[in-house]
Amino acid sequence: MSTSSSAISSPSQLEAPLVAPPPREARSGRRKLTPGRVAQYVLLALLTAIVLYPMIWLFISTFKPSSEFGQNPGLLPENGTIDNYFKVLEGIGGIPLWKFFANSLLLAVAAVVGTLASSSLAAYAFARIRFRGAGIFFAAMIGTLLLPFHVIIIPQYVLFQRLDLVDTFWPLIIPKFLATEAFFVFLIVQFIRNIPRDMDEAARIDGAGHLRTFFSVILPLIKPALITSAIFTFIWTWNDFLGPLLYLNSPENYPLPIALRLYNDQTSVSDYGATVAVSFLALLPVLLFFLVFQRFLVDGVATQGLKG
Amino acid sequence: MFSTRKRRAGVALALTTSAAIALTGCSGGGGSEPAATFDPEEEVTLDLAFWGNDVRADFYNQAIAAFNEEYPNITVNTSFLAFPEFWEARQVEAAGGNLPDVMQFDYSYLRQYSENGLLLPLDDYMGGIIETDGLAQNILDIGVVNDQTTAIATSTNAWGLYTNPILAQEVGASVYEGGGSWEDYNDYMIEATQAAGDSGVYGGTDWTGRIQNFELHLRAQGENLFTEEGEPNFTQEDVAEFFDLGTEVREQGGVVPGQLLEELYPVSAFDSARSLSELTWDNFGAGYLGNLGEPYTELGLVEPPTAEEGSQDLYLKPSMLHAISANTDHPEAAATLVNFLINDPQVSQIFGTNRGIPASETQLESLSLEGLDAQIREYEQSIEDRLGDAPPVPIVGYGAIEEEWRQIGTELGLGTITPEAAAERFFTEMEVILNS
Repeated sequence: MSTSSSAISSPSQLEAPLVAPPPREARSGRRKLTPGRVAQYVLLALLTAIVLYPMIWLFISTFKPSSEFGQNPGLLPENGTIDNYFKVLEGIGGIPLWKFFANSLLLAVAAVVGTLASSSLAAYAFARIRFRGAGIFFAAMIGTLLLPFHVIIIPQYVLFQRLDLVDTFWPLIIPKFLATEAFFVFLIVQFIRNIPRDMDEAARIDGAGHLRTFFSVILPLIKPALITSAIFTFIWTWNDFLGPLLYLNSPENYPLPIALRLYNDQTSVSDYGATVAVSFLALLPVLLFFLVFQRFLVDGVATQGLKG
Repeated sequence: MFSTRKRRAGVALALTTSAAIALTGCSGGGGSEPAATFDPEEEVTLDLAFWGNDVRADFYNQAIAAFNEEYPNITVNTSFLAFPEFWEARQVEAAGGNLPDVMQFDYSYLRQYSENGLLLPLDDYMGGIIETDGLAQNILDIGVVNDQTTAIATSTNAWGLYTNPILAQEVGASVYEGGGSWEDYNDYMIEATQAAGDSGVYGGTDWTGRIQNFELHLRAQGENLFTEEGEPNFTQEDVAEFFDLGTEVREQGGVVPGQLLEELYPVSAFDSARSLSELTWDNFGAGYLGNLGEPYTELGLVEPPTAEEGSQDLYLKPSMLHAISANTDHPEAAATLVNFLINDPQVSQIFGTNRGIPASETQLESLSLEGLDAQIREYEQSIEDRLGDAPPVPIVGYGAIEEEWRQIGTELGLGTITPEAAAERFFTEMEVILNS
């Protein structure tokens, strides 16, 4: 008991062992290169190359002129050029490319903030507060997971249209702040259920209400679940096509996935060179996001079990 | 959902009709009298939606700038998407009763949207706000569904046969001259493929895989694919026989093999300089030139073969249309914009042939065509004797049927299905689509 109550008065102490992983053997020094090890690396490099080949093909193809697609299915361009990049940077229909990036980023960041804030609060309520109808609400929340998105498209569209919010970002952002992503709520609920109730009780004895308990005790402990939710939300929102397609009409509001399709119009001339170039550029932020947060993800999984 | 949608659209329709009657006042009977006029002083905002790429978006921006010089009080907001997404977005908006005021429209969706009352009947504006002097009757008829005009064609195209003379010279094969019978064309493909030898270039693509070629066969006998009532005009045996017409040339390797087509997808064998000829709509030429690139700087465009010499198996199809939604708040302003896009010579000078060869004489006259555009224009003139009446506006679900045929065609090309089995599958799938 005494350990947990001290954790409440200074949550950073509790956090400390979670964040700093024990030094690993691998970091302590270089291993000796034996022929067996070299062969192992070569094999791993080969396997990596096979897995990464589509990415590599995409990157190298960004230097192919449009007319080479179809006539030259190989990896290397015959007449390499960087014109594709200059062309896509100009943007579409007078709207520069950075604008599409900015729209995507705004949507993704707002979605991450909204999902984390609302899902964690909702999850806390489901996991820790006993209120009337909790069971039914929980079942209903899980039930929305089984509801195909296509069923609600039209009612939702009509709703936002009546509110006069079509062609603004709000229809894509508001739902995220209302804990509509049942998957994440469920994920965090399960996470909170694994945290010993003793901690909450200790907080309550010290006079903390629900909000104080949530922010001081639960929130620091569910960080791994929050990071997982953040990564998925970011990637899903970044790649979301249907939502923006329905709710955003003005080209200056388009996010990247929609802008990307405009280079590839089957009814007139398709610019495949520009399509692959802009696809590659659109991929970079997600890749960076994942690389930065992947470490936390692994740490999160590694320290998931609360011991001691 | 659908009944409320219909009801709401019905209300909108009733309102617009009564508004039109109110505006006509007592002038009743004067058919030449324009029913509705546009008040240029009114401040109006219109939404205009189209599909296309950045090039076309830029053209539209210029056209709207020209429009605003004449009509400064009409603000036009544009929205554009690629073709499939364009229709996805429209389907949801239609359900919400929130379609854009003016839309670039496609023939294959015209019947569905018209019959659901989603499009504004334009008859009251024809000859008034929308000038019809430059539009031939057969072009006006294209946009008529159930005796009401709901759309106007911007431009037309016809089925044609593209050839690649530069590639033919490169591989030492001849170029198809056009016309002739389908057997002649098959013989040509086998011969040309043999002449091309090891170059990996083929005489053509299997034409039985396109429903348009089947349509040509039916029209040669004076029938359309579907009746006015939407019933198929052919039997399963007809389809099986038709698929069988390609068996010999497939077996002899005269056409691009199915496997190669799959490898090249999404570009076609003709785009990739692996095929010497291809049957398609005549407005595809610019796309081919773009995808072929150097050194293939010119193409041939000739008549397709015919099943019956002297028949009128070809017809003019709208490459795109303009329509106004029934839920628009400003039908007069919308009609003014449509008229400008269809008839104004400034617009055709901006677009060139990006939308196809202009349907309106006033737009066409202002345009000096060269290169491929001139070739397409000449082609459409050269086939005048073979042009019959356009078939009825495509049935609801025609797009899906066309795609089903194409997919079955690729399986025939891969040799995984016999012509009889292919015909049977097509019929089953077609019935599902027609009854849904």
